[in-house]
Amino acid sequence: MSLDWVGSDDASIDYSALRALVVEDYPGMRNALRLTLSNFGITKVQLVSNASEAIYHVKQKSYDFILCDFNLGDGRDGQQLLEELRHGNLISIETVFIMVTAESYYEKVVATAELAPDDYMIKPFSPELLRSRLESILLKKWAFRDAYRHFMTGELEDAIVACDQLIRGKPKHLVDALRFKGELLVALGRFEEAETLYQQVISMRAVPWARLGLARSLHQQNKDEAAEEVLRDVMEQAPEMVAAYDLLSDVCLAKKDAPAAQQALERGVAISARTVRRQQRLGEIAQNNGDLDTARAAFSNVLEKGLHSVFVTPSDFGNLCRVQLEQGDLQGVAKTLKDNKNILQGSPEGQLVAAVAQGMAHVKAGNLEAAAKSVEAAAALRASGTHGDPALMLDLAGTCMVSGRLEEADSIVAEVARNAHDSESLLAKARKLYDESGRTEAGASVLSKATSDVRKLNNEGVVLAQRGDFKSAVEKLLTACSEAPHNPRIMMNAVWVILKFIDQAGMDEKLIASARHHLNEAERQAPGHTRIAGLRLHLKEVENRFGIQRKGAA
Amino acid sequence: MTFNHTDLYAALIHELKNDLGLLSITLDSIAPQGEATHDAAVDSARLLCQGVVDRLQQALRVYKAIDQPIRPSIDAWSPHDAVHEIRDRAASLSRGRIRVEAMLSPEVPEIWFFDRDLVEMALINAIHNSLAYARSSLRIEASMLEGALALTVRDDSPGYPAHILAGAATDSSGHTRQTGLGLQFSRLIAESHDNRGRRGELRLHNDQGAVFCLLLP
Repeated sequence: MSLDWVGSDDASIDYSALRALVVEDYPGMRNALRLTLSNFGITKVQLVSNASEAIYHVKQKSYDFILCDFNLGDGRDGQQLLEELRHGNLISIETVFIMVTAESYYEKVVATAELAPDDYMIKPFSPELLRSRLESILLKKWAFRDAYRHFMTGELEDAIVACDQLIRGKPKHLVDALRFKGELLVALGRFEEAETLYQQVISMRAVPWARLGLARSLHQQNKDEAAEEVLRDVMEQAPEMVAAYDLLSDVCLAKKDAPAAQQALERGVAISARTVRRQQRLGEIAQNNGDLDTARAAFSNVLEKGLHSVFVTPSDFGNLCRVQLEQGDLQGVAKTLKDNKNILQGSPEGQLVAAVAQGMAHVKAGNLEAAAKSVEAAAALRASGTHGDPALMLDLAGTCMVSGRLEEADSIVAEVARNAHDSESLLAKARKLYDESGRTEAGASVLSKATSDVRKLNNEGVVLAQRGDFKSAVEKLLTACSEAPHNPRIMMNAVWVILKFIDQAGMDEKLIASARHHLNEAERQAPGHTRIAGLRLHLKEVENRFGIQRKGAA
Repeated sequence: MTFNHTDLYAALIHELKNDLGLLSITLDSIAPQGEATHDAAVDSARLLCQGVVDRLQQALRVYKAIDQPIRPSIDAWSPHDAVHEIRDRAASLSRGRIRVEAMLSPEVPEIWFFDRDLVEMALINAIHNSLAYARSSLRIEASMLEGALALTVRDDSPGYPAHILAGAATDSSGHTRQTGLGLQFSRLIAESHDNRGRRGELRLHNDQGAVFCLLLP
């Protein structure tokens, strides 16, 4: 960062060393912004006109400051760019990101601010304003440099210590430090302390983010009644804070009130329809609730609004087709597949989604010959290692059964069951497939064999680990992993025993690589699972410990 | 081709703002030539342009506040930063024509809770008034008053006319004046700041000039 020491703890900013990226689709404005920045000494400026170019340049080299227009014409908007940069770890917490918004978009930006920019400018703005905003952010980042450095290396405990120092010694940064510390406490699973911290902020002023943090800490401690009360209050005071609706929906699900969970998300979507993940979640919950119209609208929105989003995957096309099939709308399925043909044909996963949806549509239309052809195509993709989400794989198994490919169907179901041996809802869906094709008993045997193998390996591994025999536990669980390569529970257990083994017996490069791989896969299968953050920390800690030793030995 | 009313409106505003932004940057890039008529004309064009920019932003906020209360997004901000930021903007607008000063009382805390954008919008509005009427100087102050943060813009103009001090938005001829509208809006902004039942206030008075004071509890 381009800051130099001046006094004991003050910094002055060397703007000439600052590398800036300006993302703006309007050519005249782009050049004007370059002029503005050069007026206060920022001369290392890269100008780009859209998100793709921005990502290209960010991957080439790092920038200290990104000034980005929210409205970038066609393609991704500024918020989607920010999400992609942060989600993909393309920019660090030290990079300043300022969003420029026209007032009409202002609320949408604030509304989606779970991933917030460092600041936003409402245009048009004067050069002085930009300069003074940039300066306060740079000075804040300078004050937070220790906390950020620890955060980036995964030493969250040390980051908290750095926050505590700011809380004690820097009244100007008191609230920012409390806010960051709250997020660290939640990431570490220290929810009780987080609850106390947010109460402390609220006693100063009941700002919405503190109440949201309080509700989150309460929810994580299973105090869902209290969490709901706080959230209802937030919504009344700050109805534009959409993150509150997402959290309320989780709280409602925890209370087993799926209709209320759907209602909460619908209210969130009504305020800000742009967030792909909110629409995905709404689609899922509505479909489980049997509200197919809402599910269909949500899944359609995912594809429409998420056209350029990293969060849209082939599964999203499969989800929409599945609802359309459930509604008996074969034309709708045909249209979805036709409209998105290029995207779907672009990857084997997409081709699998298209083949399965097509096959299901043919079955529904009674066109078994055509269905058999689609199944053939899907089977070929699967044979070459292409994998879909569990719901898609069960759809494929269903069409296989109808086409008489029973063995293939059984093997697909077994695979799904091994990978989700503890998911009641998926196992129930699998059972239903067998019931419908009159093979209830065959199904029971396929499922019980598949789940019991994995369960046995898993349980044996866990018992061995509990006895302290981590070496044998690692063997058992890695076997379980190869049997069930997409089972998040098994993978998390494997990572855990590998780390314990290394704690006990010392570094093993192969095993640590395997732990890294399995943890990534577990996160892909179960994003946001409560155990992942802890395992990630443990992994990092082990890597650091031995990384330092290796360096010392060399 | 047909136009959807809201889309057209949004696109129009968007373009207008871009153009205004460009215009203001272009005006900024005209260097003074040390020739009085030229420089004065450029300066007044800059001031006018920034005035239009600020007025437009305010108008859009007022437009949205029709029929619904202003809902501030309150967070912790530094009153010191806010005062310095407003001072820099005022100094840039005045270009030395009016002396701009900032004064912070030592008892002002490092952070206070308010809606930065709204409060700055109100202060900038007061700055424009002062730049139009002040004789030679204006001052931006932060202090504590009755337990609240007081942000004040003070100038050496002839002061507010009586009907403004009486709280009216219209003058005796019945015309709504820009000044009146801006002050009304600033009053709404102040009053939208509420802390444990205590509401913010806008206080106007004359004391060797106009004194505009936002009181934020």
